[in-house]
Amino acid sequence: MSIIEVKHLYKEFKIPKRQEGMSGALRSLFHRQYLTKPAVNDISFSIDCGEIVGYIGPNGAGKSTTIKMLTGILVPSSGYIRVNGLIPYKERQRNARQIGVVFGQRSQLWWDLPTIESFELLKQVFQIPAERYRQNMARFRKILELDEFLHTPVRQLSLGQRMRADIAAALLHDPKIIFLDEPTIGLDVVAKERMRSFIREINRERGVTVILTTHDMSDIEKLCQRMILIDKGQVMYDGELAKIKETFGKTRILIVDLEEEIVDFSLDGVEVVKQEGNRRWLKFNRDTITASQLISRISENYNVRDISIQDPEIEVLIRNIYENNLPSEQAFTNKAKP
Amino acid sequence: MIKTYRMYWEFTRKSFQRSAAYRVDSWSRVLGNVMSLGIWGCIWFALYYGKGSVENISFHSMLSYILISMALQGIHSAGTPLWEIQRRVRTGDIAIELLRPYDYPLRMLFTDLGSMSFYFITAIFPLYTVIFIFFQPNIPLSASQWGLFILSAALGYLIRYSLELTFGLFTFWLVETGGVEDIFYFSISLFSGSVVPLWFFPDWLASIASLLPFQGIYFVPNAIFVGELSGQAILPALLNQVIWLVICYGLLRFVWAKASQKIVVQGG
Repeated sequence: MSIIEVKHLYKEFKIPKRQEGMSGALRSLFHRQYLTKPAVNDISFSIDCGEIVGYIGPNGAGKSTTIKMLTGILVPSSGYIRVNGLIPYKERQRNARQIGVVFGQRSQLWWDLPTIESFELLKQVFQIPAERYRQNMARFRKILELDEFLHTPVRQLSLGQRMRADIAAALLHDPKIIFLDEPTIGLDVVAKERMRSFIREINRERGVTVILTTHDMSDIEKLCQRMILIDKGQVMYDGELAKIKETFGKTRILIVDLEEEIVDFSLDGVEVVKQEGNRRWLKFNRDTITASQLISRISENYNVRDISIQDPEIEVLIRNIYENNLPSEQAFTNKAKP
Repeated sequence: MIKTYRMYWEFTRKSFQRSAAYRVDSWSRVLGNVMSLGIWGCIWFALYYGKGSVENISFHSMLSYILISMALQGIHSAGTPLWEIQRRVRTGDIAIELLRPYDYPLRMLFTDLGSMSFYFITAIFPLYTVIFIFFQPNIPLSASQWGLFILSAALGYLIRYSLELTFGLFTFWLVETGGVEDIFYFSISLFSGSVVPLWFFPDWLASIASLLPFQGIYFVPNAIFVGELSGQAILPALLNQVIWLVICYGLLRFVWAKASQKIVVQGG
């Protein structure tokens, strides 16, 4: 059952056109020209209950604009949009009760007050029953280790602590859907991992639908079964993560350490993309030759000390999709270092 | 319904607590208020020097007027929705407010009531009690005069609040609102009778002022307080305040409805 449905969604922004020079500046005081810039340009997708979806794209692709329309703070220019049956911008306050939102770059907590006070305020705002509040708090305190800073004013929290408090704040009222806008931005490795396992847990245990935007591909790899890739306001890819690798990542790199220095190393169907001393980086296409075939052919002709295979990295694949609008063969030549 | 008010009331409580965390700010504001009082006191003293009364208003009445006016202005200064809304729109934090199941203008009002009452209890009330004992100004002599003054002052607060928030909401369209801000603060300092009572205005200016909502903010409650406005004359003045409050609040709701549809969230 789909909980979010978006069909042919558009959002245009009117930007005042700057005119050159002093006279232009004067002229624009009286007569302003506008450029219309489409931020979201015909986007459609639907998300099922309980999914974790990575909504990704480069800066300015329209990610945040979409999220803002789903949360009801932006009004679409046109198109169909439903969040659990509600039209977000028309029923903003009702929609607010069924969603939770975390903006990695801004806090929803009350800056000057001890963290616990913000939670208590949210209890009143969402009119959370006392028993439910107590249970949720007990849980979040344990999993997110909130106790260490519950009585510290929010402005004195570290970024990691603040993010933990913020995600707890977003989940306190048991939302059906949670929007996470770069929830791991600026966090260290440990904090990122903790955040991810928490997201997985609430998804598994409470069936919360998660929509996640991020620039960190490992967030996607570790959390999402599905990703929607957008660029220039349009959907570039919507599907399983594994499939992206499958479709766009046919080429791999075989790294071979040879016993002795060989100047004219070559093999049919294989391209040497890099060399360093006795080490060679060989690019091959999975469809034309399998790794084991390749390895046996190399060891027939050369003395090999060591061998390893490099998978295309998702990040590189995606970068190439953005840059070229199509899957690229070079998906990992740039990345081909040991 | 009761639950809803409990929620807004929670904002009042939290904001009261928050004010307590910034006591220094509170004290510096008191200092500013006292300085302003000193300046206006001296100006009026100089203007009255050698005269028993001007336009039938004695110096003592005028001093009383300035004292109560400064006390009220002190209370008003504890909440500045114009700056608050500007900051939120500029930083984009307004998004968070829109993601909550409450009415933002109303929650702002209740929040400001918290900081206002903290400031009133800890600063304005003790300070002006001392000042009043020292200067012996005209104060309301009957319970009904006190009651009418408090009612009028409360109406004035709400009129100012609605107007200021409405002006603040223009940030949604303009982002930079220096000009709008100036218009608001200029109008309020002139037409509200905050430092010059309307009875000293030349006729043409007085008739302009009487057609604007600002006089209801300070002039009417001040005049009731010092006894210049009394008896039969009070009722139309209060009615005028009520009408302006309804208009200003209606305007606020209208602008808010438009603004929240038109939002551009800054950054990310």
